[in-house]
Amino acid sequence: MTVQHTGRRGLGFIGRWGILLLAAALLLAACGGGGGAGDAGGGNAGGSGGSSSGQADEIDVAVSLQYSEVMVFWDPSDSFSNEIMAMQNMYETLLHYDPLADDFKPVLATSWDRSEDGLTWTFHLRQGVKFHTGKEMTSADVKGSIERTIQRGQGASFIWDPLDRIETPDDYTVVFHLKYPAPLDLIVSAGYSAYIFDVDVADEEWFNAGNDAGTGPYTVESWTQGEQLVLTRFDDYWGGWNDPRQWDKVVFRIVPEAATRRQLMETGQGDFTYGLPPEMVEALRSNANLQVVETPSFQNLLGMLNTEKAPLDDVRVRKALAHAFPYQQVVDHVMQGTARPARGPIPYGMWGHGEDLPQPGYDLDEARRLLAEAGYPDGGFSLVLTYTAGDEVERRAAELYQVELASLGIDLEIRAMPWEQQWDLARSPDPQQRQDILLFYWWPDLVHPQSWLDALFKSQDEILFNLSYYSNPEYDALVERGVAEAGLDREQAAATFIEAQRLLLEDAAALFIFDQKYVRVTSNRLGGYADNPAYPHVVRWYETYNAAR
Amino acid sequence: MRAFIIRRLFLSAVAVLGVAVITFVVARLVPADPAARWVGPHATAEQIARARVELGLDQPLWRQLITHMAALAVGDWGRSIITHQPVIRDIAAHLPTSLVLVAAGTLLAVALGIPLGVVSAAARNRWPDHLSRALAIGLVSIPTFWLAMILQLWLGQGAGLLPIAGQVDTVLSLLSPVPRVTGALVVDSLLAGRFDVFRSALAHLVMPALTVAAYPLGLITRMVRSSMMEVLSEDYVRTARAYGVAERRILYRHALRNAMGPTLTVIALSLGYALTGTFLVEAVFAWPGLGRYAANAVIGGDFPAIVGVTVVVALAYVLLNLVVDLAQAALDPRVRYD
Repeated sequence: MTVQHTGRRGLGFIGRWGILLLAAALLLAACGGGGGAGDAGGGNAGGSGGSSSGQADEIDVAVSLQYSEVMVFWDPSDSFSNEIMAMQNMYETLLHYDPLADDFKPVLATSWDRSEDGLTWTFHLRQGVKFHTGKEMTSADVKGSIERTIQRGQGASFIWDPLDRIETPDDYTVVFHLKYPAPLDLIVSAGYSAYIFDVDVADEEWFNAGNDAGTGPYTVESWTQGEQLVLTRFDDYWGGWNDPRQWDKVVFRIVPEAATRRQLMETGQGDFTYGLPPEMVEALRSNANLQVVETPSFQNLLGMLNTEKAPLDDVRVRKALAHAFPYQQVVDHVMQGTARPARGPIPYGMWGHGEDLPQPGYDLDEARRLLAEAGYPDGGFSLVLTYTAGDEVERRAAELYQVELASLGIDLEIRAMPWEQQWDLARSPDPQQRQDILLFYWWPDLVHPQSWLDALFKSQDEILFNLSYYSNPEYDALVERGVAEAGLDREQAAATFIEAQRLLLEDAAALFIFDQKYVRVTSNRLGGYADNPAYPHVVRWYETYNAAR
Repeated sequence: MRAFIIRRLFLSAVAVLGVAVITFVVARLVPADPAARWVGPHATAEQIARARVELGLDQPLWRQLITHMAALAVGDWGRSIITHQPVIRDIAAHLPTSLVLVAAGTLLAVALGIPLGVVSAAARNRWPDHLSRALAIGLVSIPTFWLAMILQLWLGQGAGLLPIAGQVDTVLSLLSPVPRVTGALVVDSLLAGRFDVFRSALAHLVMPALTVAAYPLGLITRMVRSSMMEVLSEDYVRTARAYGVAERRILYRHALRNAMGPTLTVIALSLGYALTGTFLVEAVFAWPGLGRYAANAVIGGDFPAIVGVTVVVALAYVLLNLVVDLAQAALDPRVRYD
């Protein structure tokens, strides 16, 4: 009787609580329904805010979905990270470079010339350019910006190494005097360390408070760390705002989880994203509302071979290893076609790339022959390969390579390490303690073959990035000659750099694995988008527009 | 009672200091080069060497420890290696959003978990009990990451009922931003009297809060059920029933009050845990909270940020524990401050 009684009461409570909860849930769902519909409207109606706000129809908002914080550095002199995606829209450089056409577009400079000896470059500035601070740009700002960047010594400021001094004969003329001939047109258009800003306000703390002092089409409206950065159009932009479809605001939203970014793209709440896993990209290809854009990048994957440690100190063994790598298999199955087998270190599409270089192909018979010649007919040795922990592409490439090497009787130990640790091991004072093969990516700080040929393979007394420990005086001389020629005759320099790469391939200094393609997913309403590998992941929002309008 | 609180606060300070010291040492012993990370991937050897001096990493570890702890004590928590911003500013930016999520999740868990547990105990071994026990076990064992994505897929993309990610509708927040007061949008929008933003923020909160609630909900249900069963077998309950006191009154007025002690402790601990334990939920729902910040800091070897977050969480733990002890005394006069 008592039990029965308790039970009934209990059910009574369930009922009462249940009704209360149901009511709460309905209330929440009602709110949610409203919010959700608003979001969907925002996407479909081309940036308008849906039913909730009428004024929304008048502004165009583009949304870029990022997987990590955009603003790592705020100081344009120090920038060396993700913020390039925002800064290229907030700040400008004297020139802009199109590497695929090897052509320069005038930006803050309207014309420029170089002296016969390549040591003096004169830039004529655009007049009437305003900083976001309201001040007009003059030659003093150009000189001051570059000198401040060099003096701070952060970011990629080392690209200014050839610079001796800057002169400003008048308000709209800047003369650069160089220590040795160098391609200054490339340097002034670099993605890092070449921005021109209002020097009167330039102060690290002021920048770090979320301010900008550029001349670009967009300026910072708000920033919430870890959540979003909002850029808004700068009304006094020198280029003007002539197309009503241009974006009024650009939002960089931080959404770390790839699956969430995919859902946001699918429901029309994003206009641009990247860094999605290949299988996700495959799934999105069939979505009629989205575009998958693939362009060559200047990032490539290398396997540095330890040329100072047996048995890889024997060039025949290194060549055998180069022939044992399954290049096409990695491109097809690990990268799902979003890469191109490499030809030497300089990536496809960049000046200095040698399409005719004798890149070794996958050929196990040749590898066996070379091993036998070197005294290892059945392999019989083991090697250590390190890669950066967490990088799935490197891991899977290493595992495929392991299988190939096993068939040659070589035992490959694969070690995943955090980059700093991997790098520390690679710089151990004793070469015998170091790894045999090191996988890592490389990309240019400046669109110049020097970025690879000098930093990765020129003899280094103190090892920094020459992780093959390659040292060849003939090669060093060629690279130095190429660097000197680059300031005078880029075609000649390219030919010299290709000769230098030929030496690298003959000596099998490294495995040149693939040149990566960048894969971006964009919404159909993002019109006018073109990728430029010289400025990684940058969308020039000013040049794009709302195609749905 | 005042002496009790003072003593507890003093002990808490010692505990927090201990946590900070241990975290610092562990974070610095991990083989990673914060200087190399500070300057970026392609830095020159000179840049790295200079950063090492600037960050004080060239000093012996014990000196680094003393410098860091002394600075910590006066409120200088250092600069994050990853974000290059002062750690205290980073934490101030991320903490309110996390607190909102944790508070909403815990409220849901308490509001549902306590009645479920009571019903379960009252209807012992009959179907309401079986149902709530199965639910509790299910909720505790479901991986939050999976639950988050399923909710997102069903309620978000599938049914279109709730927004998929973020804190508020993007366009709405751009057209007329709400001034930042507390940093928690649901609160700030109410303070500004902006009900459109509040509604949107609330809708965005539902799915992450449900996900965060899952684990403590299961835990609270189980805890309330077992303590209630213990209490319900006591003599005074039988006496009350014999006197014909209404069963509802017995359950909620007399038994639950006595069964709440252990449950309160569980709630407090899960609150402390959730502050940083929600990073998977935060990642899926693009919720810019402290958990995600902490996870990035650990992956990136960002020791000032790791120490900063740990200190905040340790503070939260000790304060919550103090509150629980005081609350227990309020609920049960037999508890003494000794």
